[in-house]
Amino acid sequence: MTDRSNADLGSIQRTLAELLRRASPVRDDAAYATLAAEIASGNERLSAAEQVDVYREQYLLRHLDVLREDFLALEHVLGDQAFEALATTYLKAFPPRSFSLRDLGAELPRFVAETAPWSEDPLLADLARLEWAFVEAFDAPDASALDLATVAAVPEEAWPSVRLSLQPSVQRLELSYPVHESRLAVRSANGGVADPATVVTRPAPAPTHLVIYRGAARLQCVSLESDAYALLDELARGTPLGDACERVASASGASAASFEAKVGAWFQQWTALGWLSRVERD
Amino acid sequence: MGVGFRAPHYGRVLEERPPMDWFEIISENFLVAGGRPLENLARLQDAYRVVPHGVSLAIGSVEPLDRDYLARLRALVDRLDPPWVSDHLCWGRVPGTHLHDLLPLPYTAEAVRLVVERVKRVQGVLERPFALENVSSYMTYRASAMSEPEFVAEVVERADCGLLLDCNNVYVSARNHGWGAEHYIDAMPADRVVQMHLAGHTDKGRYLLDTHAAPVPAEVWALYRRAIERCGAVSTLVEWDDEIPEWDVLAAEAERARVLRAEVLAR
Repeated sequence: MTDRSNADLGSIQRTLAELLRRASPVRDDAAYATLAAEIASGNERLSAAEQVDVYREQYLLRHLDVLREDFLALEHVLGDQAFEALATTYLKAFPPRSFSLRDLGAELPRFVAETAPWSEDPLLADLARLEWAFVEAFDAPDASALDLATVAAVPEEAWPSVRLSLQPSVQRLELSYPVHESRLAVRSANGGVADPATVVTRPAPAPTHLVIYRGAARLQCVSLESDAYALLDELARGTPLGDACERVASASGASAASFEAKVGAWFQQWTALGWLSRVERD
Repeated sequence: MGVGFRAPHYGRVLEERPPMDWFEIISENFLVAGGRPLENLARLQDAYRVVPHGVSLAIGSVEPLDRDYLARLRALVDRLDPPWVSDHLCWGRVPGTHLHDLLPLPYTAEAVRLVVERVKRVQGVLERPFALENVSSYMTYRASAMSEPEFVAEVVERADCGLLLDCNNVYVSARNHGWGAEHYIDAMPADRVVQMHLAGHTDKGRYLLDTHAAPVPAEVWALYRRAIERCGAVSTLVEWDDEIPEWDVLAAEAERARVLRAEVLAR
């Protein structure tokens, strides 16, 4: 064993950090246990490797708990052990870089979508994207809601060229499965959590367009018809209103009159729900 | 006397504003752009004094201080106007990874120098009284050249900062390493102690784990009594972060601390 009682602080921290991020106990691996003993002294109750393992276990548990909390429905669908395998693999690929545990799961939706075996079932990536959208909506910045006086002040001929911006909390998701129903089975609308034994029926694939946003009292999820979603998506990308309506109407094949009527109803809904923030005129 | 502001009590605290002198928040939970956390914080601040207590500064890491983090913390401090700001005497970052743990430092002259220099820079950014908390520990370093109480005292003296004396952490570390907890309390520089923490821990058989998941145990109450005898009327906060009880149970624990402190000070 190397005597590292004179090791510099940086070297001690780098070595310990490597030991703490191991998936299996340090005490079970002779080489790593030796490394631990070069740094930690141990005592009559815990060997050096066991002392380091206390922190290793906490590192894993703490991060698993955060991922479980943020991806509760995904854990429910996968099952406890399979979720733990996913989370452990993810943590290795994407070690926590942010000072805040709130950011821990940011890459999980992409990881699930791109990494086998989880990528083989697109429902899992959909569920992960949905659950992360709730995290994003929770603490997104606040912006003022669209006020009616501003809307009334826009002359009719100016409307085609206006750009509308959405509240930062409004998250848009185009998915292949109605996973919001699966999420609701696990986590009720008031934030309560279902019994772990609750069986979540696998939904049939169906094109699904969702908006998750921060309502006055709680986070909400609304399912939109595809044309409404397409229009909202165009607006969120900064397309002027006239161009956005034209593109969506032509893609949907609807007549101008019937599309215009629908747009009016959508705007009423979006304004009532507080999704719109600003009208910008050129 | 204060308690930590934790999610299960948000409704009760924000709606009913029960009596409590002050609340401590985990700084990192409120270093966000907006939304629900800042709404809740604004409502809390309307009714109570709020003090931020961080877990991610990593004052003892060799990795450079996170300037973005410090800028956000400064903004939070400006919003709260607290009498002091605290974090832990520990390390937790290495290049590329935040370990999200309060890892103890080896008790060396090198670690003292590093922490002292960084505390001065943090104080320069925050422009507030700053305090460091002694952490629970489960390991001992071969490199340590002094005892933990000596290390803690030297850091806060040389950094010219406050000490957040956590009585439960003293007890947990003392039990885990076979030190005298009372000697630890007696070795702390009393005039540096700006706040105390009380909490419970979990007995894992061969060691104690600082879980904040239980009432304050008798041994920790005894240490608190000794700490108050030594340091006087210091602001105290009860932490309960896991298996969080009903508000009334937590408030009763804070009241018990208030009564004990008053008894000691009346003598």
